[in-house]
Amino acid sequence: MLHAGDILRARPWATATGNAGRVAARLVLAMVAFGLAYGAAMGTFAGVGGDRLLQVLYSAIKVPILLGVTFAVALPSFFVINTLMGVGADFGRALRALLATQAGLTIILASFAPFTLLWYASSANYQAAILFNALMFGVASVVAQRLLRRYYRPLIEANPVHRGLLRWWLFLYAFVGIQLGYVLRPFIGDPNSPTSFLRADPWGNAYEHVARLAWDVLRRGGGG
Amino acid sequence: MLGALKQLDRLLRGEATRLTTLARGTIDVSATGLCGVVVVLGMLYGLCMASFAMIRTWGGELARDGMLQVVATVVKVPVLFLLTLAVTFPSLYVFNALVGSRLSVVSMLRLLVAAMAVMLAVLASFGTIVAFFSFTTTSYPFMLVLNVAVFAVSGSLGLVFLLQTLRRLTLVVEQPDVFAAAPPVPVVPAAATDGGVALGAPPLPPHLPGALEPLDGHVLGPNVRTIFRIWVVVFSLVGAQMAWVLRPFVGNPELHFTWFRARESNFFEGLARAITHLMTW
Repeated sequence: MLHAGDILRARPWATATGNAGRVAARLVLAMVAFGLAYGAAMGTFAGVGGDRLLQVLYSAIKVPILLGVTFAVALPSFFVINTLMGVGADFGRALRALLATQAGLTIILASFAPFTLLWYASSANYQAAILFNALMFGVASVVAQRLLRRYYRPLIEANPVHRGLLRWWLFLYAFVGIQLGYVLRPFIGDPNSPTSFLRADPWGNAYEHVARLAWDVLRRGGGG
Repeated sequence: MLGALKQLDRLLRGEATRLTTLARGTIDVSATGLCGVVVVLGMLYGLCMASFAMIRTWGGELARDGMLQVVATVVKVPVLFLLTLAVTFPSLYVFNALVGSRLSVVSMLRLLVAAMAVMLAVLASFGTIVAFFSFTTTSYPFMLVLNVAVFAVSGSLGLVFLLQTLRRLTLVVEQPDVFAAAPPVPVVPAAATDGGVALGAPPLPPHLPGALEPLDGHVLGPNVRTIFRIWVVVFSLVGAQMAWVLRPFVGNPELHFTWFRARESNFFEGLARAITHLMTW
Protein backbone atom coordinates (compact mmCIF):
# COMPACT_ATOMS: atom_id res chain seq x y z
CA MET A 1 0.00 0.00 0.00
CA LEU A 2 2.39 2.70 -1.24
CA HIS A 3 4.73 2.10 1.73
CA ALA A 4 2.15 3.61 4.11
CA GLY A 5 3.34 1.41 6.97
CA ASP A 6 6.95 2.45 6.44
CA ILE A 7 6.04 6.12 6.47
CA LEU A 8 4.02 5.81 9.67
CA ARG A 9 6.77 3.88 11.41
CA ALA A 10 9.44 6.38 10.29
CA ARG A 11 11.49 3.59 8.72
CA PRO A 12 15.04 4.57 7.76
CA TRP A 13 14.41 4.62 4.01
CA ALA A 14 12.41 7.81 4.34
CA THR A 15 15.36 9.67 5.86
CA ALA A 16 18.34 7.92 4.25
CA THR A 17 20.58 10.01 2.05
CA GLY A 18 20.87 7.44 -0.77
CA ASN A 19 18.64 7.87 -3.87
CA ALA A 20 16.94 10.90 -2.38
CA GLY A 21 14.99 11.62 -5.56
CA ARG A 22 13.20 8.27 -5.52
CA VAL A 23 12.34 8.57 -1.85
CA ALA A 24 10.91 12.05 -2.38
CA ALA A 25 8.90 10.84 -5.38
CA ARG A 26 7.45 7.98 -3.33
CA LEU A 27 6.50 10.33 -0.52
CA VAL A 28 4.82 12.76 -2.89
CA LEU A 29 2.98 9.89 -4.56
CA ALA A 30 1.70 8.68 -1.19
CA MET A 31 0.64 12.22 -0.28
CA VAL A 32 -1.31 12.65 -3.53
CA ALA A 33 -2.93 9.21 -3.41
CA PHE A 34 -4.12 9.37 0.20
CA GLY A 35 -5.05 13.04 -0.13
CA LEU A 36 -7.26 12.16 -3.11
CA ALA A 37 -8.84 9.38 -1.07
CA TYR A 38 -9.83 11.57 1.86
CA GLY A 39 -10.87 14.43 -0.41
CA ALA A 40 -13.18 12.12 -2.34
CA ALA A 41 -14.79 10.91 0.88
CA MET A 42 -15.15 14.51 2.01
CA GLY A 43 -16.98 15.50 -1.19
CA THR A 44 -19.70 12.86 -0.96
CA PHE A 45 -21.85 14.85 1.45
CA ALA A 46 -24.39 15.95 -1.17
CA GLY A 47 -24.50 12.49 -2.76
CA VAL A 48 -22.67 10.95 -5.69
CA GLY A 49 -25.41 10.94 -8.34
CA GLY A 50 -25.10 12.84 -11.63
CA ASP A 51 -23.78 16.35 -11.22
CA ARG A 52 -22.69 15.66 -7.65
CA LEU A 53 -20.05 13.17 -8.79
CA LEU A 54 -18.17 16.18 -10.06
CA GLN A 55 -18.08 17.62 -6.53
CA VAL A 56 -16.49 14.40 -5.31
CA LEU A 57 -13.83 14.76 -7.99
CA TYR A 58 -13.23 18.44 -7.18
CA SER A 59 -12.90 17.78 -3.47
CA ALA A 60 -10.55 14.87 -4.17
CA ILE A 61 -8.24 17.07 -6.26
CA LYS A 62 -8.34 19.92 -3.78
CA VAL A 63 -6.78 18.12 -0.82
CA PRO A 64 -3.45 17.34 -2.57
CA ILE A 65 -3.53 20.84 -4.11
CA LEU A 66 -4.01 22.39 -0.67
CA LEU A 67 -1.10 20.49 0.86
CA GLY A 68 1.19 20.67 -2.18
CA VAL A 69 0.75 24.38 -2.94
CA THR A 70 1.08 25.35 0.73
CA PHE A 71 4.30 23.35 0.87
CA ALA A 72 5.69 24.95 -2.30
CA VAL A 73 4.76 28.51 -1.29
CA ALA A 74 6.32 28.27 2.18
CA LEU A 75 9.44 26.37 1.08
CA PRO A 76 11.73 29.06 -0.46
CA SER A 77 11.86 31.22 2.66
CA PHE A 78 12.35 28.13 4.83
CA PHE A 79 15.33 27.15 2.69
CA VAL A 80 16.97 30.57 2.91
CA ILE A 81 16.48 30.78 6.66
CA ASN A 82 17.87 27.27 7.16
CA THR A 83 20.95 28.25 5.18
CA LEU A 84 21.35 31.46 7.13
CA MET A 85 21.10 29.60 10.45
CA GLY A 86 24.02 27.42 9.39
CA VAL A 87 22.13 24.18 8.73
CA GLY A 88 21.90 24.42 4.96
CA ALA A 89 23.83 21.16 4.65
CA ASP A 90 20.99 19.27 6.39
CA PHE A 91 18.30 20.76 4.17
CA GLY A 92 17.85 17.63 2.05
CA ARG A 93 17.11 15.59 5.15
CA ALA A 94 14.88 18.28 6.64
CA LEU A 95 12.93 18.41 3.40
CA ARG A 96 12.41 14.66 3.35
CA ALA A 97 11.32 14.72 6.99
CA LEU A 98 8.71 17.34 6.14
CA LEU A 99 7.56 15.47 3.03
CA ALA A 100 7.29 12.25 5.00
CA THR A 101 5.17 14.02 7.60
CA GLN A 102 2.93 15.41 4.88
CA ALA A 103 2.50 11.95 3.45
CA GLY A 104 1.86 10.63 6.96
CA LEU A 105 -0.79 13.29 7.52
CA THR A 106 -2.73 12.24 4.43
CA ILE A 107 -2.46 8.57 5.42
CA ILE A 108 -3.89 9.37 8.85
CA LEU A 109 -6.64 11.45 7.24
CA ALA A 110 -7.48 8.70 4.79
CA SER A 111 -7.81 6.26 7.68
CA PHE A 112 -10.47 8.60 9.12
CA ALA A 113 -12.47 8.61 5.86
CA PRO A 114 -14.82 5.82 7.05
CA PHE A 115 -15.76 7.89 10.10
CA THR A 116 -16.58 10.82 7.85
CA LEU A 117 -18.74 8.63 5.61
CA LEU A 118 -20.57 7.24 8.62
CA TRP A 119 -21.15 10.80 9.87
CA TYR A 120 -22.55 11.84 6.48
CA ALA A 121 -24.82 8.79 6.50
CA SER A 122 -26.21 9.70 9.90
CA SER A 123 -26.71 13.47 9.57
CA ALA A 124 -27.74 15.77 6.75
CA ASN A 125 -26.73 18.94 8.61
CA TYR A 126 -24.20 20.87 6.46
CA GLN A 127 -22.75 22.94 9.32
CA ALA A 128 -22.24 19.81 11.40
CA ALA A 129 -20.47 18.15 8.45
CA ILE A 130 -18.08 21.11 8.24
CA LEU A 131 -17.34 20.87 11.94
CA PHE A 132 -16.83 17.12 11.77
CA ASN A 133 -14.31 17.50 8.94
CA ALA A 134 -12.54 20.25 10.86
CA LEU A 135 -12.33 17.85 13.80
CA MET A 136 -10.85 15.11 11.59
CA PHE A 137 -8.25 17.51 10.18
CA GLY A 138 -7.47 18.71 13.68
CA VAL A 139 -6.99 15.23 15.11
CA ALA A 140 -4.90 14.17 12.09
CA SER A 141 -2.66 17.24 12.51
CA VAL A 142 -2.10 16.51 16.18
CA VAL A 143 -1.19 12.89 15.43
CA ALA A 144 1.06 13.98 12.55
CA GLN A 145 2.94 16.24 14.98
CA ARG A 146 4.16 13.11 16.72
CA LEU A 147 5.41 11.73 13.44
CA LEU A 148 7.07 15.01 12.60
CA ARG A 149 8.90 15.04 15.91
CA ARG A 150 10.11 11.51 15.24
CA TYR A 151 11.41 12.36 11.79
CA TYR A 152 13.06 15.54 13.02
CA ARG A 153 14.63 14.08 16.14
CA PRO A 154 18.04 13.18 14.62
CA LEU A 155 18.30 16.65 13.14
CA ILE A 156 17.44 18.36 16.43
CA GLU A 157 19.87 16.15 18.30
CA ALA A 158 22.64 17.11 15.89
CA ASN A 159 21.83 20.81 16.12
CA PRO A 160 19.17 22.32 18.41
CA VAL A 161 18.72 25.17 15.90
CA HIS A 162 16.43 22.78 14.03
CA ARG A 163 13.86 22.95 16.83
CA GLY A 164 13.32 26.68 16.36
CA LEU A 165 13.34 26.28 12.59
CA LEU A 166 10.69 23.59 12.81
CA ARG A 167 8.44 25.91 14.82
CA TRP A 168 9.00 28.61 12.19
CA TRP A 169 8.06 26.14 9.47
CA LEU A 170 4.83 25.17 11.24
CA PHE A 171 3.94 28.83 11.61
CA LEU A 172 4.57 29.59 7.92
CA TYR A 173 2.76 26.44 6.84
CA ALA A 174 -0.31 27.23 8.93
CA PHE A 175 -0.28 30.88 7.85
CA VAL A 176 -0.34 29.98 4.15
CA GLY A 177 -2.46 26.84 4.54
CA ILE A 178 -5.32 28.58 6.36
CA GLN A 179 -5.62 31.18 3.60
CA LEU A 180 -5.40 28.58 0.83
CA GLY A 181 -8.01 26.43 2.54
CA TYR A 182 -10.27 29.49 2.74
CA VAL A 183 -9.82 30.26 -0.95
CA LEU A 184 -10.25 26.66 -2.11
CA ARG A 185 -13.69 26.33 -0.52
CA PRO A 186 -16.02 24.47 -0.94
CA PHE A 187 -14.44 21.20 0.15
CA ILE A 188 -17.64 19.51 1.24
CA GLY A 189 -20.22 20.96 -1.13
CA ASP A 190 -23.41 22.56 0.18
CA PRO A 191 -26.36 20.46 -1.11
CA ASN A 192 -28.35 23.68 -1.61
CA SER A 193 -25.88 25.31 -4.00
CA PRO A 194 -24.77 24.11 -7.43
CA THR A 195 -21.57 22.12 -7.88
CA SER A 196 -18.55 24.33 -8.52
CA PHE A 197 -14.77 24.06 -8.25
CA LEU A 198 -14.41 27.37 -6.41
CA ARG A 199 -16.97 29.73 -4.94
CA ALA A 200 -18.42 32.32 -7.32
CA ASP A 201 -16.32 35.00 -5.61
CA PRO A 202 -13.47 33.00 -4.10
CA TRP A 203 -11.01 35.76 -3.27
CA GLY A 204 -10.98 37.04 0.25
CA ASN A 205 -8.92 36.92 3.36
CA ALA A 206 -9.30 34.26 6.01
CA TYR A 207 -7.69 36.40 8.70
CA GLU A 208 -9.74 39.48 7.98
CA HIS A 209 -12.84 37.32 7.93
CA VAL A 210 -12.04 35.90 11.38
CA ALA A 211 -11.11 39.34 12.76
CA ARG A 212 -14.40 40.74 11.52
CA LEU A 213 -16.38 37.90 13.09
CA ALA A 214 -14.55 38.38 16.38
CA TRP A 215 -15.11 42.13 16.23
CA ASP A 216 -18.83 41.65 15.56
CA VAL A 217 -19.12 39.33 18.55
CA LEU A 218 -17.26 41.77 20.79
CA ARG A 219 -19.32 44.73 19.64
CA ARG A 220 -22.56 42.89 20.07
CA GLY A 221 -21.42 41.69 23.48
CA GLY A 222 -20.48 45.25 24.49
CA GLY A 223 -23.73 46.72 23.18
CA GLY A 224 -25.78 44.17 25.15
CA MET B 1 26.03 37.56 -12.11
CA LEU B 2 26.69 33.87 -11.45
CA GLY B 3 29.81 34.78 -9.52
CA ALA B 4 27.85 37.27 -7.43
CA LEU B 5 25.21 34.65 -6.69
CA LYS B 6 27.94 32.29 -5.53
CA GLN B 7 29.16 35.01 -3.20
CA LEU B 8 25.64 35.40 -1.84
CA ASP B 9 25.52 31.66 -1.27
CA ARG B 10 28.80 31.80 0.65
CA LEU B 11 27.43 34.64 2.78
CA LEU B 12 24.22 32.79 3.59
CA ARG B 13 26.07 29.60 4.45
CA GLY B 14 28.40 31.55 6.70
CA GLU B 15 31.47 30.50 4.69
CA ALA B 16 32.44 34.08 3.93
CA THR B 17 32.33 35.13 7.59
CA ARG B 18 34.31 32.37 9.37
CA LEU B 19 37.06 33.69 11.58
CA THR B 20 39.72 32.02 9.46
CA THR B 21 38.27 33.61 6.32
CA LEU B 22 38.07 37.01 7.98
CA ALA B 23 41.69 36.86 9.10
CA ARG B 24 42.70 39.46 6.51
CA GLY B 25 40.46 42.00 8.23
CA THR B 26 37.82 42.24 5.53
CA ILE B 27 35.03 40.14 4.06
CA ASP B 28 36.25 38.55 0.89
CA VAL B 29 33.32 39.57 -1.31
CA SER B 30 32.91 42.14 -4.05
CA ALA B 31 30.68 45.07 -3.10
CA THR B 32 29.73 45.83 -6.70
CA GLY B 33 28.80 42.22 -7.43
CA LEU B 34 26.64 42.05 -4.33
CA CYS B 35 25.05 45.40 -5.19
CA GLY B 36 23.95 43.76 -8.43
CA VAL B 37 22.44 40.89 -6.41
CA VAL B 38 20.66 43.39 -4.14
CA VAL B 39 19.15 45.16 -7.15
CA VAL B 40 18.00 41.95 -8.86
CA LEU B 41 16.51 40.43 -5.69
CA GLY B 42 14.86 43.74 -4.85
CA MET B 43 13.26 43.88 -8.29
CA LEU B 44 12.07 40.31 -7.87
CA TYR B 45 10.42 41.09 -4.55
CA GLY B 46 9.01 44.34 -5.98
CA LEU B 47 7.27 42.25 -8.63
CA CYS B 48 5.67 40.03 -5.97
CA MET B 49 4.74 43.06 -3.88
CA ALA B 50 3.02 44.99 -6.67
CA SER B 51 1.33 41.93 -8.16
CA PHE B 52 -1.51 42.77 -5.73
CA ALA B 53 -2.26 46.05 -7.52
CA MET B 54 -1.98 44.36 -10.90
CA ILE B 55 -4.23 41.40 -10.08
CA ARG B 56 -6.89 43.48 -8.27
CA THR B 57 -7.18 45.97 -11.13
CA TRP B 58 -6.94 43.37 -13.90
CA GLY B 59 -9.45 43.97 -16.66
CA GLY B 60 -10.99 46.91 -14.80
CA GLU B 61 -10.94 50.65 -15.31
CA LEU B 62 -7.67 51.04 -13.43
CA ALA B 63 -5.81 48.19 -15.18
CA ARG B 64 -3.25 50.59 -16.59
CA ASP B 65 -2.60 52.04 -13.13
CA GLY B 66 -1.99 48.53 -11.81
CA MET B 67 0.61 47.88 -14.49
CA LEU B 68 2.34 51.17 -13.78
CA GLN B 69 2.42 50.29 -10.09
CA VAL B 70 4.33 47.11 -10.96
CA VAL B 71 6.92 49.08 -12.90
CA ALA B 72 7.22 51.63 -10.10
CA THR B 73 7.58 49.07 -7.30
CA VAL B 74 10.12 46.99 -9.21
CA VAL B 75 12.27 50.12 -9.37
CA LYS B 76 11.46 51.35 -5.86
CA VAL B 77 12.40 48.31 -3.77
CA PRO B 78 16.12 48.30 -4.74
CA VAL B 79 16.15 52.11 -4.49
CA LEU B 80 14.70 51.90 -0.97
CA PHE B 81 17.57 49.72 0.21
CA LEU B 82 20.33 51.60 -1.59
CA LEU B 83 19.07 54.98 -0.36
CA THR B 84 18.81 53.73 3.21
CA LEU B 85 22.38 52.51 2.91
CA ALA B 86 23.51 55.85 1.50
CA VAL B 87 21.85 57.77 4.33
CA THR B 88 23.21 55.63 7.14
CA PHE B 89 26.66 54.69 5.86
CA PRO B 90 28.54 57.93 6.66
CA SER B 91 27.48 58.06 10.30
CA LEU B 92 28.23 54.40 10.88
CA TYR B 93 31.71 54.84 9.48
CA VAL B 94 32.38 57.96 11.54
CA PHE B 95 31.18 56.47 14.80
CA ASN B 96 33.00 53.24 14.13
CA ALA B 97 36.22 55.18 13.63
CA LEU B 98 35.52 57.31 16.71
CA VAL B 99 35.35 54.30 19.00
CA GLY B 100 38.70 53.15 17.70
CA SER B 101 37.87 50.38 15.25
CA ARG B 102 40.41 50.11 12.44
CA LEU B 103 38.07 48.90 9.72
CA SER B 104 38.71 50.68 6.40
CA VAL B 105 35.97 52.36 4.35
CA VAL B 106 36.08 49.54 1.83
CA SER B 107 35.72 46.81 4.47
CA MET B 108 32.89 48.75 6.04
CA LEU B 109 31.08 49.14 2.73
CA ARG B 110 31.53 45.47 1.90
CA LEU B 111 30.14 44.54 5.28
CA LEU B 112 27.05 46.71 4.85
CA VAL B 113 26.39 45.56 1.30
CA ALA B 114 26.81 41.96 2.46
CA ALA B 115 24.26 42.51 5.25
CA MET B 116 21.93 44.07 2.72
CA ALA B 117 22.36 41.10 0.37
CA VAL B 118 21.39 38.79 3.24
CA MET B 119 18.32 40.95 3.91
CA LEU B 120 17.28 40.90 0.29
CA ALA B 121 17.81 37.16 -0.01
CA VAL B 122 15.45 36.55 2.91
CA LEU B 123 13.02 39.15 1.56
CA ALA B 124 12.98 37.65 -1.92
CA SER B 125 12.48 34.17 -0.49
CA PHE B 126 9.25 35.46 1.09
CA GLY B 127 8.20 36.56 -2.40
CA THR B 128 6.22 33.38 -3.03
CA ILE B 129 4.14 33.92 0.11
CA VAL B 130 3.49 37.57 -0.69
CA ALA B 131 2.57 36.75 -4.29
CA PHE B 132 0.27 33.98 -3.04
CA PHE B 133 -1.59 36.40 -0.77
CA SER B 134 -1.67 39.04 -3.53
CA PHE B 135 -3.42 36.51 -5.69
CA THR B 136 -5.94 35.28 -3.14
CA THR B 137 -6.79 38.23 -0.92
CA THR B 138 -8.74 41.39 -1.67
CA SER B 139 -7.80 43.30 1.45
CA TYR B 140 -5.40 46.20 0.89
CA PRO B 141 -4.65 46.85 4.60
CA PHE B 142 -3.86 43.16 5.08
CA MET B 143 -1.28 43.32 2.28
CA LEU B 144 0.28 46.40 3.87
CA VAL B 145 0.63 44.73 7.25
CA LEU B 146 1.91 41.49 5.70
CA ASN B 147 4.58 43.38 3.76
CA VAL B 148 5.65 45.30 6.85
CA ALA B 149 5.98 42.00 8.73
CA VAL B 150 8.04 40.44 5.93
CA PHE B 151 10.31 43.48 5.75
CA ALA B 152 10.70 43.44 9.53
CA VAL B 153 11.73 39.77 9.61
CA SER B 154 14.20 40.14 6.72
CA GLY B 155 15.59 43.38 8.09
CA SER B 156 16.14 41.89 11.55
CA LEU B 157 17.96 38.85 10.15
CA GLY B 158 20.16 41.10 8.01
CA LEU B 159 21.00 43.27 11.01
CA VAL B 160 21.80 40.27 13.19
CA PHE B 161 24.15 39.14 10.42
CA LEU B 162 25.72 42.60 10.38
CA LEU B 163 26.29 42.72 14.14
CA GLN B 164 27.71 39.20 14.30
CA THR B 165 30.07 39.75 11.38
CA LEU B 166 31.15 43.10 12.72
CA ARG B 167 32.00 41.56 16.08
CA ARG B 168 34.07 38.91 14.35
CA LEU B 169 35.73 41.41 12.03
CA THR B 170 36.62 43.94 14.70
CA LEU B 171 38.09 41.20 16.76
CA VAL B 172 40.15 39.85 13.89
CA VAL B 173 41.42 43.32 13.01
CA GLU B 174 42.34 44.07 16.59
CA GLN B 175 44.03 40.75 17.34
CA PRO B 176 45.21 39.41 13.99
CA ASP B 177 47.66 36.83 15.34
CA VAL B 178 45.18 34.80 17.34
CA PHE B 179 42.86 34.01 14.46
CA ALA B 180 45.32 33.78 11.64
CA ALA B 181 46.84 30.88 13.56
CA ALA B 182 43.57 29.18 14.49
CA PRO B 183 43.16 25.95 12.49
CA PRO B 184 39.72 25.30 11.01
CA VAL B 185 38.62 22.41 13.25
CA PRO B 186 35.10 21.20 12.46
CA VAL B 187 33.25 20.26 15.64
CA VAL B 188 31.17 17.08 15.49
CA PRO B 189 28.70 16.91 18.38
CA ALA B 190 28.59 13.44 19.95
CA ALA B 191 24.80 13.34 19.73
CA ALA B 192 24.94 13.54 15.94
CA THR B 193 26.37 10.08 15.51
CA ASP B 194 24.16 8.51 18.19
CA GLY B 195 20.97 9.92 16.73
CA GLY B 196 21.99 8.89 13.22
CA VAL B 197 22.81 5.31 14.19
CA ALA B 198 19.61 4.87 16.19
CA LEU B 199 17.56 5.34 13.05
CA GLY B 200 19.99 3.53 10.78
CA ALA B 201 20.69 6.76 8.91
CA PRO B 202 24.19 7.92 7.93
CA PRO B 203 25.83 10.47 10.24
CA LEU B 204 25.06 14.10 9.59
CA PRO B 205 27.72 16.32 8.06
CA PRO B 206 30.02 18.06 10.56
CA HIS B 207 28.55 21.21 12.01
CA LEU B 208 30.26 24.47 11.08
CA PRO B 209 29.07 27.75 12.61
CA GLY B 210 26.32 29.51 10.63
CA ALA B 211 26.34 33.15 9.61
CA LEU B 212 24.12 34.22 12.54
CA GLU B 213 25.66 32.11 15.29
CA PRO B 214 27.32 34.03 18.10
CA LEU B 215 30.79 32.69 18.80
CA ASP B 216 31.73 32.47 22.47
CA GLY B 217 34.41 34.49 24.19
CA HIS B 218 34.73 37.24 21.60
CA VAL B 219 33.62 40.36 23.37
CA LEU B 220 34.19 43.88 22.15
CA GLY B 221 34.56 46.93 24.33
CA PRO B 222 31.20 48.01 25.73
CA ASN B 223 31.19 51.36 23.94
CA VAL B 224 31.68 49.75 20.51
CA ARG B 225 28.77 47.43 21.11
CA THR B 226 26.59 50.32 22.27
CA ILE B 227 27.39 52.29 19.11
CA PHE B 228 26.31 49.42 16.93
CA ARG B 229 23.17 48.74 18.88
CA ILE B 230 22.20 52.38 18.47
CA TRP B 231 23.12 52.28 14.81
CA VAL B 232 20.94 49.25 14.15
CA VAL B 233 17.97 51.14 15.62
CA VAL B 234 18.80 54.19 13.49
CA PHE B 235 19.04 52.01 10.39
CA SER B 236 15.63 50.48 11.06
CA LEU B 237 13.99 53.86 11.63
CA VAL B 238 15.56 55.37 8.52
CA GLY B 239 14.54 52.35 6.47
CA ALA B 240 10.95 52.53 7.73
CA GLN B 241 10.63 56.24 7.08
CA MET B 242 12.35 55.89 3.68
CA ALA B 243 9.73 53.33 2.76
CA TRP B 244 7.05 55.79 3.83
CA VAL B 245 8.57 58.58 1.73
CA LEU B 246 8.80 56.32 -1.32
CA ARG B 247 5.24 54.94 -0.95
CA PRO B 248 3.05 53.60 -2.54
CA PHE B 249 4.68 50.19 -2.91
CA VAL B 250 1.67 47.88 -2.77
CA GLY B 251 -0.70 50.30 -4.52
CA ASN B 252 -4.29 50.75 -3.39
CA PRO B 253 -6.33 49.16 -6.20
CA GLU B 254 -9.04 51.80 -5.75
CA LEU B 255 -6.76 54.78 -6.35
CA HIS B 256 -5.10 56.14 -9.46
CA PHE B 257 -1.39 55.49 -9.85
CA THR B 258 1.07 58.08 -8.60
CA TRP B 259 4.83 57.77 -8.27
CA PHE B 260 4.77 59.40 -4.82
CA ARG B 261 2.09 60.38 -2.36
CA ALA B 262 1.79 63.73 -0.55
CA ARG B 263 4.39 64.68 2.08
CA GLU B 264 2.45 63.98 5.26
CA SER B 265 2.34 61.79 8.34
CA ASN B 266 4.91 59.05 8.99
CA PHE B 267 5.51 55.32 8.78
CA PHE B 268 4.23 54.41 12.25
CA GLU B 269 1.04 56.41 11.97
CA GLY B 270 0.39 54.79 8.60
CA LEU B 271 1.02 51.31 10.00
CA ALA B 272 -1.24 51.96 13.00
CA ARG B 273 -3.97 53.15 10.65
CA ALA B 274 -3.66 50.02 8.49
CA ILE B 275 -3.85 47.73 11.53
CA THR B 276 -6.86 49.58 12.95
CA HIS B 277 -8.54 49.38 9.59
CA LEU B 278 -7.85 45.66 9.40
CA MET B 279 -9.27 44.96 12.85
CA THR B 280 -12.37 47.13 12.73
CA TRP B 281 -13.56 46.93 9.15
